[in-house]
Amino acid sequence: MLRARGLVKTYRAPAGPRIPVLDGVDVDVKAGELVVVAGASGSGKSTLLNLLGLLEDADAGDVWFADEHVSALGRSARSGARGRFVGFVFQSFLLLPSLTALDNVVLAARYVGRSGPETRRRARELLEELGVAERHEHYPPQLSGGEQQRVAFCRAVLNDPPLLLADEPTGNLDDANAHVIAGALRRRAAAGGAVVVVTHRPEAFVPATAVFRIENGRLEGYPLKKEVAP
Amino acid sequence: MLGPRLLRGYGFTVAGIAIGVAGLTALGGMSERIVRFIEGGDRFVLGQISVAGRGLGMGTGFTAGGLLPASAIRAIAGVPGVAGVQPQVMLPLNPTTSQFMTLTQELVLGLDLSVPIPNRHYPTLPVRTGRFLSGGDRHVAVVGAAFASSRGLDVGARLTLEGETYEIVGVLDRTLTAPDRFVIVSIADARTQWVAKDPMLRTVLASGAVPVRAEDLNTGAAVGWRTGEDPDVVARRIAERVAGVNVQIPSELSRQLRASTVFFSALLTGIAALGLVIGGLSVANTIAAAVFERIRDFGVKRALGATDAQLGREVLTESLAVTLSGGVTGIVIAIALGRGIDLWISRGQQLFLFSARLLAGALIFAGLLGAVAALYATLRVVRLSPAEAIRRGA
Repeated sequence: MLRARGLVKTYRAPAGPRIPVLDGVDVDVKAGELVVVAGASGSGKSTLLNLLGLLEDADAGDVWFADEHVSALGRSARSGARGRFVGFVFQSFLLLPSLTALDNVVLAARYVGRSGPETRRRARELLEELGVAERHEHYPPQLSGGEQQRVAFCRAVLNDPPLLLADEPTGNLDDANAHVIAGALRRRAAAGGAVVVVTHRPEAFVPATAVFRIENGRLEGYPLKKEVAP
Repeated sequence: MLGPRLLRGYGFTVAGIAIGVAGLTALGGMSERIVRFIEGGDRFVLGQISVAGRGLGMGTGFTAGGLLPASAIRAIAGVPGVAGVQPQVMLPLNPTTSQFMTLTQELVLGLDLSVPIPNRHYPTLPVRTGRFLSGGDRHVAVVGAAFASSRGLDVGARLTLEGETYEIVGVLDRTLTAPDRFVIVSIADARTQWVAKDPMLRTVLASGAVPVRAEDLNTGAAVGWRTGEDPDVVARRIAERVAGVNVQIPSELSRQLRASTVFFSALLTGIAALGLVIGGLSVANTIAAAVFERIRDFGVKRALGATDAQLGREVLTESLAVTLSGGVTGIVIAIALGRGIDLWISRGQQLFLFSARLLAGALIFAGLLGAVAALYATLRVVRLSPAEAIRRGA
């Protein structure tokens, strides 16, 4: 489902030296797999996820969704590919404060041309599944962190994207809410979705298809794949 | 989905735009007021040939000059091309005020109602309540809107002029030019007031040194021309054929009037330019700031798959809704402010004129500027990667 080859990313600090973050990273994630990428803060986990989700450009390397060479697309076409293929869960939730919980979820469908009563019904179902249906008319500032992340998860899966990318999805949550979100991600993979999670708490996501660690700009253990049990 | 909630979160933006548009509209309202006054005067002088007796005299306004006796009026009426001559007496209500025509001078205008008003642009003066004067009226007056308002006068009220009591029989519509401050009476009444106001005239008349009849007591005359005649040519013809008169050439008087108001023209140009700059900068800055403030939201939307075109349409729709809401609010504020100030300064003054063209112009200007500012800001935002937009907005 997701294939990346030779991803390189370097940041340049203002008036400072170039800082290499990723140095030729290869990734393969198939449908039904949950891949966890662990690493210390600043190791490049989030950068990797941004490159995989086309949220920023790599200095070198290529990304494919299914068999589509998406990193070669223009800006608008890449936006379209993101809408069709990818759902994102962010550490800081990134809900729009001016929209209700329900409208935040439905927003995902708007840009892929799927808005309508059916979409709203599906959004309500997802909120129900995640236990936040009764808060659907509340605005993000009126929700707890755990509730916001559940809403964000619903937004990420509303379009039923084949690929789910989660950046520290439990980083701002207590154990109970982290458990809910991790479970939802695992169920997503079990239902046939491809899921990539970057986290500094990999133990929260096992069992996983594979757990990698980023060190010195490379994925340690790749291309080793194994079922990782708790 | 977003319709009813389009403006949520934009409260400060709408307020910012409202302030800008209110400033623009208020300054524009003052400009419109001055423009209307100048245009009204210009239209008046181009509608008639104004003639006064040669000399310094007592008159004021368009009839400032010496005495214009009945013989001169008959001679003017006989000039080829002249369609009608209306003797007039125009006096300052308060003789201590300047003889110069000013924005606020109150005048007594005596009209010979046996002759139709010859002014082509003002053949009648619009009456708001009551009636206009008719032939044979004595000790009655029609007053301008500002004059009535400043003294709380209405039809049926009494007004004392030079010791004589006049009944108000009509109040004119507001014209925003000179007639707003007129007290219009019959010419016979105006002649009586003239004599009462001017000790020198009384002395001359009492001495019997000069044979003057009542019909000779005119400060000037309004002269009309026949259809097809060039008013300037007719005016020059009067000057050539009638001795002892000052004839105002309509086009020259218009030029003089415009020259005398050049300061006001420059002032209102400056006010309008200032309004456009202040209001425009306020609107553009507020909208651009509102877009940049939501940079994280745009990053999220692009992460969700929004294309540049989708985002552009969305921002444009929101900015137009915000700008128009702010614009309408600003206009309401400006009108309320203008009305409040006009009421506060009282005395029938009107400093602001909120014409339809001004209000429509302010709204269109704000909308266009808001759209351009939003477009500029959006182009800047979409150039960022979604990740960068999210980072910068965090």
